[in-house]
Amino acid sequence: MQQVRRIFGVFIFLATWQAIIAFGWVDAFLLPSPLQVTRAILDMVVDGSLWGHIGASLQRVLIGFALATFVGLTLGFLCGAVPWVADLFKPLIEGLRPIPPLAWIPLAIVWFGIGNAPSYFLVFIGAVFPVFVGTFSAVRGLDRTQINAALCLGATPWLLFRDVIVPPTLTMVFPALRIALGIGWMCVVTAELIAAQSGLGYLIQQSRLLFQIHNVVAGMAVIGVIGFAMGLLMEKLERRINHWSPGQRDQA
Amino acid sequence: MNMSVSPGAILQSAASLSETRAESHIDISGVCKVFKGRKGETDVIALQDINLEIRRGEFVALLGPSGCGKSTLLSIVAGFQQPTSGTACQSGAVIRAPHVSRTVVFQDFALFAWMTVQKNVEFGLKAKGVPYPARAQQALELIRLVQLTGFEDKYPHEISGGMKQRAAIARALAPDPDILLMDEPFGALDAQTRVLLQEEVARLTSDNGKTVIFVTHSIEEAVFLADRVVVMSPRPGRIRTEVAVPLARPRTADMRTDPWFVQTVHDLWEMLKPDWKDKE
Repeated sequence: MQQVRRIFGVFIFLATWQAIIAFGWVDAFLLPSPLQVTRAILDMVVDGSLWGHIGASLQRVLIGFALATFVGLTLGFLCGAVPWVADLFKPLIEGLRPIPPLAWIPLAIVWFGIGNAPSYFLVFIGAVFPVFVGTFSAVRGLDRTQINAALCLGATPWLLFRDVIVPPTLTMVFPALRIALGIGWMCVVTAELIAAQSGLGYLIQQSRLLFQIHNVVAGMAVIGVIGFAMGLLMEKLERRINHWSPGQRDQA
Repeated sequence: MNMSVSPGAILQSAASLSETRAESHIDISGVCKVFKGRKGETDVIALQDINLEIRRGEFVALLGPSGCGKSTLLSIVAGFQQPTSGTACQSGAVIRAPHVSRTVVFQDFALFAWMTVQKNVEFGLKAKGVPYPARAQQALELIRLVQLTGFEDKYPHEISGGMKQRAAIARALAPDPDILLMDEPFGALDAQTRVLLQEEVARLTSDNGKTVIFVTHSIEEAVFLADRVVVMSPRPGRIRTEVAVPLARPRTADMRTDPWFVQTVHDLWEMLKPDWKDKE
């Protein structure tokens, strides 16, 4: 039943949109109808150009996200566990965090030129802070008593880390990773609008210059669908890894 | 005061024991613990000059109202905290860090929420390097001992408070420690579950020769379980008196109606009342 409602919601939206165009309430040049957009997507699928753009964007987001995950987890963990490391890095990080990724674009172009590198950088900037904050809070929130329990049971540092510190930390780190990937996906498109010659952002920008508004909307729709799919995938992974957590079971 | 064993006599017997050092298992001498106050606040003396000697195989209850430092003292013996001055020794060696020869049962269970009951109980064995099928077998045996058979694959949030504490006791017994430290283990449980678990602990500890320190604020619980009740009082935390319990082991439910038991619980309550009132 829930599934039916979910599909029905999207269907109503698309039908209304189609109707608005069909009745001529909005100029079809300014807003192509869902059918036109679907046709545009299918055309790009058939001529193969869409796959190239999707591939380029995905590759960029994954590399940037991997970098952000590595740096965010490491720094978050160190700052959460070692107070003097937190003193050293926390103010700097909190000062850099409010700068929107968009504001980094000029520097990114100056430093890295046009191509993949500015996209990696921008995804990294967008994704690293949520990962850091999630990890930091998770480590700070660890139950001291459980660590003591593990120590008095003779846990070696490695066992303590793997079996006692990592699992409860993941309940907070995973939602942070999911949010970070979502932001990263937005950042890669932003970067491609300005500083790339391929990818979904580039497709949108290029189509605008050619007044191919149906391709602009097609690009946007593909971005939305892929972002949605990535979110679902992360949620599924999260549920599998944190299956023991009561909160996870309730939302399943 | 009308106690069949006077505190003085107990202290004397403790002093004579210290001469036969071989028997002394835990030796707490001159332990003070001061918590530094924050800016503008005064320091808190949690423990002041604590001297306590515990024999191998002895069951000692630390009894007192909250704020008397009994949990702090336990935490020092566990090795989680260091005393500000003085030493806590185990078989003559100063305790500086937690060790698997002294396992702890906590008031809030401290079970690993991401592990099943089985995996929780196995943890200490895994840390010891006991290989897989063997440690699973040993854990099952302990789970049977604490009467949790059938709940091996449950996660902690799926079982009741009493069951959680049974699991935590099995986990603490698994590495076969010399010393079992219990920090108000039944404080979070309802009265009926408490009574049942007290009898369980009486049964589990009567025959395996482990030294037990049991922190509680329940007079009845202390007298029912311990060979010796060490009464502490707050501000600053110090040992006020000791009572030896002459009841035979293992303790059984009917001992709760023994005249000596009833009288001792009554006398201790009369003595401790002012401390409790103070707290209110």
